[in-house]
Formats: sequence, C-alpha cells, structure tokens
Amino acid sequence: MADFFHTLGAPIRWIVETFLWLPEPFQYLLYIVALVLAIILPLLLAVAMLVYAERKIWAAMQMRRGPNVVGPFGLLQSFADGLKLFLKETVVPSGANKGIFLLAPVVTFSLALVAWAVIPFDAKLVLADLNVGVLYVFAISSLGVYGILMAGWASNSRYALLAAVRSAAQMVSYEVSIGFVLVTVMVWVGSLNLSDIVEAQAGGFWNWHIFSHLPMAVIFFISALAETNRTPFDLPEAEAELVAGYQVEYSSMAFALFWLGEYANIILMCALTSLLFFGGWHSPIPGFMETIPFTDWSAGWLWFFWKIFAFFFLFGWIKATLPRYRYDQLMRLGWKVFLPISLFAVVFYAGLALALGKI
Amino acid sequence: MEQSYPNLIPALPELWLALGALVLLMLGVFRTNHVRRTVNNAAALMLAVAFFLVFAVGPTHQVTFSGLFVSDGFTLFMKALVLLGSGAVLVMSKPYLVDKDIFRFEYPVLVVTATLGMLMMVSANDMLSLYLGLELQSLSLYVLAAFNRDRQRSTEAGLKYFVLGALSSGMLLYGISLIYGFSGTTNFTILAGLYSGGATPSVGVLVGLVFVLAGLAFKISAAPFHMWTPDVYEGAPTPVTAFFAAAPKIAAMALVVRLLMGTFQGLVADWQQLVVFLSIASMVVGAFLALVQTNIKRLMAYSSIGHVGFALVGLAAGTTEGVTSLLVYMAIYLSMTLGAFACILSMRHKEGMCEDISDLAGLAKNQPRMAAALAIFMFSLAGIPLLAGFFGKLLVFLAAISAGLYTLALIGVLASVVGAFYYLRIVKIMYFDEPADAFEAPESRSIGLVMGVTAALNSPLSFFLISPLVAWAGAAAGALVL
Amino acid sequence: MIAALSFYLFATVTLLAGLMVILSRNPVHSVLFLILAFFSAAALFVLLGAEFLAMVLIIVYVGAVAVLFLFVVMMLDIDYVQLREGFAQYMPIGGIIGLMLLAELIMVATARMVDPPIGLGSGPAIPDADAVTNTEALGRLLYTDYIYAFQTAGLVLLVAMIGAIVLTHRKRPGVKRQVIADQISRTAKDAIEVVKVKSGEGI
Repeated sequence: MADFFHTLGAPIRWIVETFLWLPEPFQYLLYIVALVLAIILPLLLAVAMLVYAERKIWAAMQMRRGPNVVGPFGLLQSFADGLKLFLKETVVPSGANKGIFLLAPVVTFSLALVAWAVIPFDAKLVLADLNVGVLYVFAISSLGVYGILMAGWASNSRYALLAAVRSAAQMVSYEVSIGFVLVTVMVWVGSLNLSDIVEAQAGGFWNWHIFSHLPMAVIFFISALAETNRTPFDLPEAEAELVAGYQVEYSSMAFALFWLGEYANIILMCALTSLLFFGGWHSPIPGFMETIPFTDWSAGWLWFFWKIFAFFFLFGWIKATLPRYRYDQLMRLGWKVFLPISLFAVVFYAGLALALGKI
Repeated sequence: MEQSYPNLIPALPELWLALGALVLLMLGVFRTNHVRRTVNNAAALMLAVAFFLVFAVGPTHQVTFSGLFVSDGFTLFMKALVLLGSGAVLVMSKPYLVDKDIFRFEYPVLVVTATLGMLMMVSANDMLSLYLGLELQSLSLYVLAAFNRDRQRSTEAGLKYFVLGALSSGMLLYGISLIYGFSGTTNFTILAGLYSGGATPSVGVLVGLVFVLAGLAFKISAAPFHMWTPDVYEGAPTPVTAFFAAAPKIAAMALVVRLLMGTFQGLVADWQQLVVFLSIASMVVGAFLALVQTNIKRLMAYSSIGHVGFALVGLAAGTTEGVTSLLVYMAIYLSMTLGAFACILSMRHKEGMCEDISDLAGLAKNQPRMAAALAIFMFSLAGIPLLAGFFGKLLVFLAAISAGLYTLALIGVLASVVGAFYYLRIVKIMYFDEPADAFEAPESRSIGLVMGVTAALNSPLSFFLISPLVAWAGAAAGALVL
Repeated sequence: MIAALSFYLFATVTLLAGLMVILSRNPVHSVLFLILAFFSAAALFVLLGAEFLAMVLIIVYVGAVAVLFLFVVMMLDIDYVQLREGFAQYMPIGGIIGLMLLAELIMVATARMVDPPIGLGSGPAIPDADAVTNTEALGRLLYTDYIYAFQTAGLVLLVAMIGAIVLTHRKRPGVKRQVIADQISRTAKDAIEVVKVKSGEGI
C-alpha cells in the first residue's frame, strides 16, 4: 500500500499531512478514505465518459450522429443527464416496501464500487493486495443479484418481480461457469492473487492466458455479459415484455444509482477479462513503446486502460448488433453448454498444469 | 512435497460400489428408461461382486484414510449381512414397481448409494465418517420412501421420514460436537484409548454420548424414537419397506455396537442402563401396539421395533458373548424379514397389490406353498422352538442372564409371549378363515427363490446352521471388543 | 486498535442481525438480515486471518444458498396470523428445549476450562500461518487427511441432486422442445419446395 501512496504522490500526502494532529486511528481512516476516493472519483468520471462513448459507438454503427448537443461534440451529455436525474423527485410507490425499495439501488451501487478494491491498476498499484483477490471479486459479483432481487420484490409490481426472478436465476446460473473458469486460471497460475495472475503473464503478448485459455476466455466474456445483464442476455430489463424490468418503479437518483452501478460493473468485468486473460497492465511487446522518443506512454495503468476500453467497445458492439436470447436458450447455454465445457476444462487444465510441472 | 497415498485395499467394496453407482447413473441418464431392467440387474450383480470383495478384503484389522476407515472381522460380518439384505431386496423389487408404474432406473441407483452409505457406516472409525456415511444412507432412503411420488401416502412417508431424520441427525451432531469438545478428538481408536483404562470421563462426554445414542436409536427405530416407523413403513412402496426393515437396521445396529462396545466400552456402566431402557421400551411397544394392526406393513413395522428391542438385550449385557448373540440375532432377523417381505410382495389380487391382513384369509387353500412359507416366517418371528428365531432369542436372553440382567430377560420373555399372539393370528387367518379373493400366482422367480431360501434357513434345518453362525459371529465380536 | 474496533463493530452487527432474523415479522426481512449476519461473520473471519473461509462463506452462503432462499420466500404468500396460531401452545416445550441447549452450551464453555479435553492434539498439526497461506493449508488437509470425508460429502450431494430430480422432474406431454441439432441440420432443400405454377390453374 505504501507504493500506492507514493505513486499517487503529492495530493494525498498533502491531505494526510494536514491532518497529522489527529489521533492515530483517525489518521489511518482518513488515509484509507483518501485512497478510496482516489479510485472512486476517476471511476465515476470514467463511467460518465464511457456512457457517452458507448452512445457514440451505437450511433456510428446505426449510422446516426449520437449525442452532439451538450458541450463540444456532445461531450457533456452524461453530466447533463446526471444533473437532470439528480434534480428530479424520488417517487416511492405507495405499495412498496419503502426501506428495501430505497436500499436496493444503494446496494447495487456500493457493491459495484467495492469490488474495485482488489483490482491492480499497475504493479503494486492496488488498494488491497488480498491473497484471495479473485475470490473476493467473485464473491462481490455474486452479491450483485441482491440489489436486483430487493428492487424487484420491494417495488410491489409484477413486472419488477418477474424481472428480479429472471435475473436471479440468470446470474446464479452463469456464476457457476464463471467460477469454474476462474478455477482454471487459478490452477494454472497457482495463486488467487490478482497481481500474481497478471505477473504470470509478463513478458509479451505470447505469454497472455488468452492463448493458453482461449475457450475459457470466451466463456468468461460471454458469462460476463450475462452477469451484468447486458445484451444479448438483458432479459431482466427486456423492454418489450417487462417494460424496464426491476427498474420500472424507480426514478431520479435511485434510478441513477442503478445505472451507475450497472456501468461500474461492466467496466469491472472488462477489467477482469484483461487481468485474467490479457496481461493486465503489461505491454504486449515489452520495451516497444519506450523506444519512441519524447513519450511516456508505456505506463502500465495506461495499457490497462486501453485494454479495458477495448473490451468496453466489444460490449457496445455486441449490444448494437445482437438480438436478445430467449429465456430457455439462455438457460440452455449456461447449464448445458458452458457448465460441462468449463467442468471438463477444470480437469483438463489441472492435468495439464500437473503434467507441465506447474503444480 | 511428499506424496503419500492412502491404502485403498480395505475400502475396495465401497470404491467398487461408488464407481459402479456413477456408471449406472450415467447409463440410466443417457439411455433413459430403455435400460432400467439392465440397470436393475447390473446393480444386483454389483452388490454380489461387492459381497465377494468384502470377503476378499478379509477379516484382518486394517485402518486407512488417516484413521477414518476401519476394516476388520466385525465389519466383514456386518457388511456381508447388509449386502445380502440389499441384494435380496433389489432382485425382489421389480414386479411391484412395474405394477405401480414407478420402475425407473433411479431406483437401483439409489439402492446402491444407500448400500454404499451403510457399508461406510459399518466401517466408520471416526465421528466424521460415521456421520457422512449415515447421511449418504439416510438421504437415499428419504428419496426411496417418497419414490411413488404421485401417491400421497408415499410422499407423506418420505417427508415425515426426512423431517424426523433431519432432527435425529441434528441430535447426533450435537452429541458428536459435545464429545469432541470434551475429549478433543473424534477418532474411535483414540477415544477407546482414552476411556478404556477406567478414566472418569467428563460429564460433557456422557451427555454427548446420550445424544449420539438418541440419534442412532432413531435410525434403528428403537422406542421411544420409533414414531416414524409405522407411517413410513406403511406409506413407502413395499420393496422399499422391505429394504428399510432389512439393511439399514443392520448398518445402524453395527454403528451402535461399534460405538458402545468398540469405542466406549470403558464406560459400560454409564450406558448400560440406557440400552436396557431402549430395549425394554422397544420390546413392549413392538409387542403391544402390533396387536391392533390391520395392515401387514404396519404390523411388520411394529415387529421390527420389537426385534430391535430383543437384539438390544444382547448389547445391554455389555459382554463379548452379548455382542455375539446380537450379531446372530441380526443375521436371523434379516432372513426372517426378507422372507416375510417376499411373501408380502407376492400378495397380489387381480386389481393389483394389496397389503391388508384380512386379504390373507384362506391363503392355505389358494396358495399352499406360500402359506407354508409365511407360516414358517411367522413362527420364526414369534420365536417358536426349533425355528431360527427361537435360537436368536435364546442366545440374547442367555447373554443377559449371564450378565446378571434377570429382569431384562424376564421382560423379554414376556414380550415375546405377547408378540407371539399376533404372529400366530396371521397363521390362524391363513389356515382357518374363510378364503378371500385368491392371489394371482407369483410371476417372479426371484421372489420365489428368496422365499424358498429364507424359508429353508428358518425351518428346523437351521439347527445345523446355528453353530457355524455363532462361531463366525463370535469371531466378529472378538475383533470388535479388544 | 483498528482491528479491535472492527471486531466489535462486526460482532455487534452479527449479533443484532441474528436477533432480527428471528424477530422481524416479514420473512423477506428475516432472510435479508440473515445475509447481513453471514456477511459480518465473513468479516470476522477476515479479521482472524482466515480470508479463504470468509470468501467461501460469502460465495456459497450469501451468493448462492441465500439467493435461492430469498427466491422461495419472495414467492410465498404466508398468512402470518395463521402461522402464529398455536405458537403459545408450543412455547413452553420449545422454551424448555432451548434452555436445555443453552445450559449445555454454557456447560461446554465453562467445563472445558476446568477440565481440559484430554485427547487434544491427536488431529493433524496446524501449519504455521506465515509459511503457508490458509487456502493452501485447507486444501492440503482436505485432499490428504480428509479425502475420504471430502469424497463422501460429494457423494451425499450427488444423491441429493438425484433425489431432487427423481421427485420433481416430469416429462410433460405436448410441450415443444427446441432441438438445436435438428434446426442446424435443416437445409433449404428439406424446407422449401419450388413449384411451377401454371397460369390460371392454381396449385
């Protein structure tokens, strides 16, 4: 954590030094809060800009212009939308279970942020270098279903409840194959620490897991689509059947929190894909960028960012082009295709790792 | 890292059954019900092979899997009985299941997993393996009890068994955790070492032992933990009832014996009164409540409660002789029960299977051979001299008397006199009542075979078999009680 | 200091959530409090240094078991008045059993101090926490000393699965099922027939 402290440099040091007169535990808390903010604020900014980027991508694919009114090239569109939602009234339906109704978006949003604690942005640049980082992310993402279930139940609306039930079944089903995919990577690397997993892929793109684990990476990415309720698996909010699914009764900030959480989750899944299979912060050809003079574009976090953005583009591309799955097809894919393949892969990769002397 | 693999040889029968069950399951799932007959036959064959594997492993004392698993003369005896019971039930099941349209490939698979659980119980050498084996067996049995899922009686039986079984498992676990908390170990060998030298155990161990005993008493359906037995026996499909009455009783009894005699023998003074109480209660409940039954499966339920009581008389003695008599009693009980259920499974009108005692009226005129066989089983169950059941009772009472438990033996004799009444009533109905509708001739040769063999074993011929059986049981008991 | 504060925080939350599980009137609230209790219990595990157990607790209990639990409870339409009928009648016996169990728990806790277990240390040795991570230590134990129990537990779960399928799965007649292989193997030749239509005659 000390390295993180140094990397972020002056601003945080200044804040902490200003409050040196506080008793020790408070200093520590302040320090943690500063670190957390250093992750969350850029993340939320990224969400806003990525939403804008995504709308532009869709527009380009459908030969439209996309947002272009607010600010230069429509860059400020997301902020305008955010402001609008912020100023609106929060409507709680009279039949709703008020506490849970308001808690649901908070749960979704905070879980989406909490998972970022163990994501390494660069070597040593991680808030909590947990030994069981992969499991932590998996655990937090498996909790994501609660926000939706609570929202669906507390809304006291048929559409919302149906969406919640669909969503719960969907997320639980796809978590199973995600879990097995994670196991194949963990067995291969011999560690549950995300930094270790990235370090195992150092030294050029030919070392990335995408080549050794190609089918697993595909399964992981598709399951990530299902886990984040994105097209073609966006049945929980299927507008044609369920209006807007579990969000149907939400307005204003409560709605905005769902929306922010959803996008934070999507970025998280993109980040995980690049960490697990695409070398995380490592450059594809080490030393290549450093040969170009007058630039400092070789920083690890920048590579990480480009990779995240590439997968985000893929998410947007898929949403712009693929139709929605039918529910039975979704379940079939999860249980009858992915589960057997990933189960077999666990045995296969464990055997291979043993044969290659990795274990 | 050093690699050390556990010795798998002592667990050969279990491994064989576990792998076999998986193969059968796959076969059934991928070929569906086309292969149910094949799966059934293959399962029976597998149990037969397991029977030989048990003997191949032999009676030498072997402990493996880091002390979780034991194989010795005692397990050899008990496993042989369990496999005989399961195998006999499996070959008798088909006609009934076909008749009720519930002949599915899962039935033999579940019977095999239940049997596997029983073998694990018999071989348990640790509280952990005891509990896991017990759960494997119970879970299979819960499903089997509800196997006729479209009939309310059957699902009710399954649910009742499940809820009460879960409660008993809870008590068992509570007791196990108390024993672990106060002794610091769950291993039977270490526990036996701790308490064999007359060391005074802490109260926690004793309380834990009581809880464990209560949980196991539920599984052997000893009174006052017998409430589930009649309902479950009546509601479950008849082959499943036969299975309940035969194999699980023996496995659970093996656990009780291993726990009390093999592990806590040093505390015999502490548990003896409990076993005496269980024994008396079971004998009395079995004898008196059976008198008013009209359904033969309910009658067999109370009969099995009573017989567990008689078997516990041997255990109450707390001696090697007592254990020997218990083992002999369980072997004879197995043959009597299997035979009786072979007859019940042949009770078939034109309209289908029937299970009322009144349906047996005049059986001697319609089906003289079956009536004769059933009469033998009833006489044997009642303990009429010269039949096998008599020798079993004689041995347990002798063991009790030589241990000084005169009252217990006296109550046992009285209870068997009362019990004889309802067994003989069936014989009277068969031979002296006006004939009811005739049964259809049994179509299954395997049921006839089981009936014939068990009838021969229970007939006065058994006189010649009893001394080798006693010798073998004595060796088994000797392996247990060190 | 921070660790102690966190312990008291999470312990308090665990206890209060546990209390609310049985006190709340709405079963959905009960399940949600149960989840909170699991969650803070996992946090306590982390404080103990057992991070693997903590994560598994969350993944298995909160992420899977409790979801299905909530699923079922949400679907139920329970009449609470009817549910509470006869509650008072069973209260005394339930209370007595509860008190007995409590007394025994206290007995265990206190007597262990007076009369320490004599067979302790007979199990496998606990490895040094600095040498091996607790994930590895647990894995070694499960796959070596307790492989028998581990595999048996797997069999128990398999039987539970078979049971659930046997008792609930039915083939309904008249339901159309998608057979993907058939769909893909269909060609234009089997599906379309080109008919020459003579003018004025129809087909």
